[in-house]
Amino acid sequence: MDTAFRKIDIDIYDEDVLQESELYEADPRDPAEVLEDAKQRAGHVRSLLAKNDIPGALTIILDNAPYGPNIDDAKIITLQTLLTILNTTKSADIPGVIKALSMDTQDTLMKYLYKGMAMPGWGDISGSVLLGWHEKLTEVAGVGCIVRTMTDRRIV
Amino acid sequence: MPEVFTLAQTPITSHSFSADRSQIAVSLNSNDAQILTRQGTEWVSTVTLAEHDKLITSIDWAPNSNRIVTCSQDRNAYVWQEQPDAETGKLVWKPTLVLLRINRAATYVRWSPKEDKFAVASGARAIAICSFDPENNWWVSKLLKKPIRSTVLSVDWHPNNVLLAAGSADMKARVFSAYIKEVDERPSPTVWGSKLPFNTVCGEYTSPAGGWVHAVGFSPSGDVLAFASHDSSINIVYPGGPVIHNIRMPSLPLVSLVWTSEDTIVAAGHDCRPLVFSGSEAGWQEAGTLDDATAPKSESRSAFGGGSSVGRLKTGAFATFRDADSRGQTSSSSTTSDTLLTIHQNTITNVRAYDYSGSNVSRVSTSGVDGMLVIWDVDAVSALTARVGGAHLR
Repeated sequence: MDTAFRKIDIDIYDEDVLQESELYEADPRDPAEVLEDAKQRAGHVRSLLAKNDIPGALTIILDNAPYGPNIDDAKIITLQTLLTILNTTKSADIPGVIKALSMDTQDTLMKYLYKGMAMPGWGDISGSVLLGWHEKLTEVAGVGCIVRTMTDRRIV
Repeated sequence: MPEVFTLAQTPITSHSFSADRSQIAVSLNSNDAQILTRQGTEWVSTVTLAEHDKLITSIDWAPNSNRIVTCSQDRNAYVWQEQPDAETGKLVWKPTLVLLRINRAATYVRWSPKEDKFAVASGARAIAICSFDPENNWWVSKLLKKPIRSTVLSVDWHPNNVLLAAGSADMKARVFSAYIKEVDERPSPTVWGSKLPFNTVCGEYTSPAGGWVHAVGFSPSGDVLAFASHDSSINIVYPGGPVIHNIRMPSLPLVSLVWTSEDTIVAAGHDCRPLVFSGSEAGWQEAGTLDDATAPKSESRSAFGGGSSVGRLKTGAFATFRDADSRGQTSSSSTTSDTLLTIHQNTITNVRAYDYSGSNVSRVSTSGVDGMLVIWDVDAVSALTARVGGAHLR
């Protein structure tokens, strides 16, 4: 059966097409501001990690995380910092850490876990660490958390 | 105890009861609607409403005027009325075509409280507000278009017969004025606004994590709006501030909801069991479920609960694939059953008010993809603490 027609981009024939940007509220901040903010947080996280305050570090990096277009640098710094936190946490501590997070932070953490799993081999991503966090996070926040990761258009 | 009826082995797309609850109009995932009549504990098909030539998406039976409206993917709606047949004199259901003027599927239909109008949601980024034109003896429609950006998935009428809430796939729940000059008296001011010409947008709301808005509903007074979206959350809107209470759930998204009183909502969806939410302007929370999964009800339910504490992931399809992988088993001969702990065995797609006590709803009916119709007692709320429900991970 001919299936080539499925690849036709019908949206270009629609004058009133729904744009991605109409589906969520854009971050009002300037890209440079977001980048500066991400760098500052990375520094803050390092000092919290030195004090072994994992929930605090996660909250700092995940709260108000960068989303949307044109801020790839800030997103990469944030992901990198987050991976440092995830990789340094002892697996026995993970459930306690996750329970200490707010629901917002849990949802954002899930977004990053999926982002990490979509980039195998990048930086110091370790599939087994991400899967370990994913399992524990799902036990605490439920499948609803995964559903929100899939539906939320504020992609990190 | 809930009353459970298995109407079909196919999904029930939509259901609506007659005023006296002795009959029910359903569409069993086909182009036809059926009217089933209750005979003891059975529902027997008595009439087939055949006119649509694509899948029927929604049905609503007006309790006072005893008219049924159906809408379908064929972009049409029909109003069905019981009339004496010209030759035999017997009462038969006669269809009247409604001119919807939409170029995509109709998705959802609801009569207004006074039953002089109905709203048809559609994939054409529009809602058709239909009213009867006695001069030409047909139903005419006026389209609510702006600012809808995608398919409208559900609508609900305000008790004042003018305001209409709509949930849409563009992640927004909106409140519109559906004021028709020829039909409506000038409405008195409400919390949603005072000047209400047709297509006034009185409010536009979205859930924090977005997601298609599957279900909308006004509270009995019409002063509060609830909507459930695909981010597994339910939002309750007080328009004054506006104050929006967002309840995130650990479970799967809700797709249908009904207010049972000014401070209680029953909602259900992909989690296969009706949840109860309660609260006031100060705050809302999940109060529990109507489906007490811990009570031993039937053999299949108690047989399954046993050792598995992680729920659905260890059963059904999961077990089939795991067995195929680790043991090379391909048949479903394994000991695990694919029966869920809940009464409904698949997504609940409709929740509707069934019975009233005073102004509050005392019983609700649900139907779903599993072909079951269940009537629940609204007061029989059991806590969610024992989360052994088949639909839960924990």
